[in-house]
Amino acid sequence: MDQAAILDHQFRVAAYVITWVIQLGYLAWLGMKWRAQKKDAERRRIG
Amino acid sequence: MKKLAIGVYVLVTLALLAWGYYQAIYVAPNDAMQGEIFRIIYYHVPSWAIAFVALSVSLAGSIGYLACRRNQLDWAQMADAWAVAGAEVGVVFLTVGLTTGPLWGRRAWGIWWTWDARLTTSLVLWLIYVSYLLLRRFAAGPQMQTLAAVLNIFGALDTPIVYMSNRWWRTQHPAPVFGGAEGSGMDPSMVGALMWNMLAWFLWGVLILALRYRVERQQQKIAAAEAHAALNA
Repeated sequence: MDQAAILDHQFRVAAYVITWVIQLGYLAWLGMKWRAQKKDAERRRIG
Repeated sequence: MKKLAIGVYVLVTLALLAWGYYQAIYVAPNDAMQGEIFRIIYYHVPSWAIAFVALSVSLAGSIGYLACRRNQLDWAQMADAWAVAGAEVGVVFLTVGLTTGPLWGRRAWGIWWTWDARLTTSLVLWLIYVSYLLLRRFAAGPQMQTLAAVLNIFGALDTPIVYMSNRWWRTQHPAPVFGGAEGSGMDPSMVGALMWNMLAWFLWGVLILALRYRVERQQQKIAAAEAHAALNA
């Protein structure tokens, strides 16, 4: 593998990892918000 | 039954994302000119496509809110929940598009960024929807939802400009792959990988959009309960 191909590989991996970090990070944030709301709603006894 | 359907949907989505990854890495060939870096397109293009879908949902929600806010309050609140869910999910996918693009550009062009029409209008679109979310987060009072809806409608005018920018102007950004000028298109051996990823990310986008909508509806109920409690105190 030449230097250019190694760099291409690293940049491609970085793009895919960043995509997953953003998507899963957002999902985790949504999940935490949902759980906090659920607890709050149970405390207030609303739907 | 509903939980089972959601579980099946999540499993199908995850399976398709794994299949899309397999197609992008192991099935599609390297591009003859660009080599492996071309494979970024299998995540980059679907991210932009789903961002446009989410922002369209947001726009429809804002129009619905303005149409219903005076006489159908519950419908207006539902429409507003779709508006905020679509904008937030749209920003997530726009962020993916705006970070994967420069990674490709650095290897293909030798630069991270250039102020050409496609890139600039894309950045402006991201900034508009980030300001929409900031307005919703920090503004208070009964006018907030109306102001946000109006901002959303004006902001959405940038979406077709982003889409058409590399058709209307000569840009550093590549010309459209599909529906472009004569000679545009993709090798058939690569189309499958792109379409599988398009489908997989679409299902993922619908999943997080629906989840964000649920969270917003619950937030509205909590806010209504708080207001009711304050009135009765």
